[in-house]
Amino acid sequence: MASQNGSVLMRVLVTGGSGLIGKAIEQVVMRDGEKREGEQWIFISSKDADLLDLEQTRAVFEKHRPTHVIHLAAKVGGLYLQMRENLHFLRDNLRINDNVLWTAHEMGVTKVVSCLSSCIFPDKTTYPIDETMIHLGPPHESNYGYSYAKRMIDVQNRAYFAQYGHRYTAVIPTNVFGPHDNFNEAEGHVLTAIMNKTYKAKRNNTTLNVWGSGKPLRQFIYSMDIGRLMVWVLREYDEVDPIILSVGEEDEVSIRQAVEMIAEALEFKGKIEYDTSLSDGQLKKTANNAKLRRYLPDFTFTPFREAVKLTCDWFVKNYDHART
Amino acid sequence: MHCTRGLGQHSSQHASLASSLHRTRLARKCSSKVAAFTLGNSRFSTSELLLHAQKRVLVTGGSGLVGRAIQHVINEEGGGKDGEEWIFLSSKDADLMNKEETQAVFQKHKPTHVIHLAAMVGGLFKNMRVNLDFWRNNIYINDNVLQAAHEVDAVKVVSCLSTCIFPDKTTYPIDETMIHNGPPHASNFGYSYAKRMIDVHNRAYFEQYGRSYTSVIPTNVFGPHDNFNIEDGHVLPGLIHKAYRAQKEGKPLVVWGSGTPRRQFIYSLDLARLVLWVVRDYNEVEPIILSVGEEEEVSIKEAAEAVVRALDFKEEVVYDTDKSDGQFKKTASNAKLMRYLPNFAFTPFEKALKETCDWFVANYDNARK
Repeated sequence: MASQNGSVLMRVLVTGGSGLIGKAIEQVVMRDGEKREGEQWIFISSKDADLLDLEQTRAVFEKHRPTHVIHLAAKVGGLYLQMRENLHFLRDNLRINDNVLWTAHEMGVTKVVSCLSSCIFPDKTTYPIDETMIHLGPPHESNYGYSYAKRMIDVQNRAYFAQYGHRYTAVIPTNVFGPHDNFNEAEGHVLTAIMNKTYKAKRNNTTLNVWGSGKPLRQFIYSMDIGRLMVWVLREYDEVDPIILSVGEEDEVSIRQAVEMIAEALEFKGKIEYDTSLSDGQLKKTANNAKLRRYLPDFTFTPFREAVKLTCDWFVKNYDHART
Repeated sequence: MHCTRGLGQHSSQHASLASSLHRTRLARKCSSKVAAFTLGNSRFSTSELLLHAQKRVLVTGGSGLVGRAIQHVINEEGGGKDGEEWIFLSSKDADLMNKEETQAVFQKHKPTHVIHLAAMVGGLFKNMRVNLDFWRNNIYINDNVLQAAHEVDAVKVVSCLSTCIFPDKTTYPIDETMIHNGPPHASNFGYSYAKRMIDVHNRAYFEQYGRSYTSVIPTNVFGPHDNFNIEDGHVLPGLIHKAYRAQKEGKPLVVWGSGTPRRQFIYSLDLARLVLWVVRDYNEVEPIILSVGEEEEVSIKEAAEAVVRALDFKEEVVYDTDKSDGQFKKTASNAKLMRYLPNFAFTPFEKALKETCDWFVANYDNARK
């Protein structure tokens, strides 16, 4: 609720604002009507500040003076990129996260919501995984650099709370996909990389070559759903402990099933081949969304098939400037 | 602070070797991930260079408990070897939380080897107060040092972890494979996670660049030059200082906690000798626990009683059970160390404690407290 003179009650800075989730939040807040009176939303990207640089981070915080932060900026990438560069994923993300959290603290930011991922959980574990299990063992070998750096956000959140009483928290989405994603075949995440490949295979009349066996299982969540949920977390979720944002376990699909839906959405009728000599990554990462359901029992996720179609349609329409 | 030892006849040849080295980009093409260096028309592998035994060892945290012990072993006990140059840094030389200062000091000395001891450290009660500072400061120091070492092509870095970083809920004894198997004790989670990240960095530097960066895991270290501050120091020096003061004031020695927690104590001079061996001869990237055996574990009560004997303390000893105990036990296995050095002889605890107490009494005015 704005005061009589229209003063700003919440100024939200979204780092990584041009990325997959940032764009989704922007859509939800600026165009779908989620923004409330008295709220200001600012989306920044690497053009505005290199968050690896503390001075630039400080400068952009000083410029905008946020009361709240949604921290999405990170060095991210799919399986094959991570396997090659664990050191860089570790170092860069540790630095970005410390710069953002520390600067938020220095500037008196009320709340920071950071973004983890279900891929950072222990590799050897029981399923489903839940929020209490993040640190119970080493993460999967393929992306341990990224995983440890992200886990350290949760460690920092607890330390900021213990030392200063800040309620900095984090969300844990499962596999996110949607418009404005990274569709690069080698470096993007699985769904969007396959969308790109399928598009090209259709255009060039070639076989669709899927890396891996197609057997791994994933819970996919549409970026617009994540956007809406993150806005809720920012406004209403008060715990320092993180919260998993995901569809339920019953909505887990295999890569193969996802490939078939993408082929259908893009009307690809050609041959599909699975290259089993290439790594599958983790076989499953089934996450429990019971905590979310306790808070929001009535939240409706966009059905997967529909979300795939929407994303494919966006990709085809925006092919020229999509990140490929 | 600077210490040069035993360059011998080869000094000028090796000095020119060191100054005219430049790295070729062969690491990724070599099947064994060994860096190659050229000198004129000749090419030397790292291992060949190391055989020529020209080592320039930079010790960060050189003025601390372990750093001073290494200095003592090098300077007073003939622990240095021919072809080794030793440089001990302290915070006066560089603020390692600052990337530029760290790089400058590494560029200045161009070490081939690094013993990385510098850290923000403290006892139980300080950790509990400022976990965030322990996490942030140590993450920065460690990242700066490892990256600077990498950039000057240091072939080996030996960092220092601690058994206090192991998972709190665990089976005993703990060993090197268990570091990341669960969350550490809540009291010092900031410090613990920052230290654990050293091991993660080591693995990543090895995978990406073939670096042999490794770490040691001591149990509770004590000795001369420790931090004897009662609020912020570790348990043994804290007890020594308290007993010394209590004796002067004719008051009881008040031990914080119940006295029941158990610890393995390792004398700093023993640790120093072991670290020298690690720098020279331990080639794994996986860490190694440096500790007395499990059978040498003592309770805080037993340690307090040993301090009483060492200082000839005459007053009463009481236990303030309102104060936190910290972790009940952290029993570590030294089986890996014993496989490598089956004949290593640790200084007996009572003797080491007596030497430490004697040092403290003799150096009371200058001791860190």
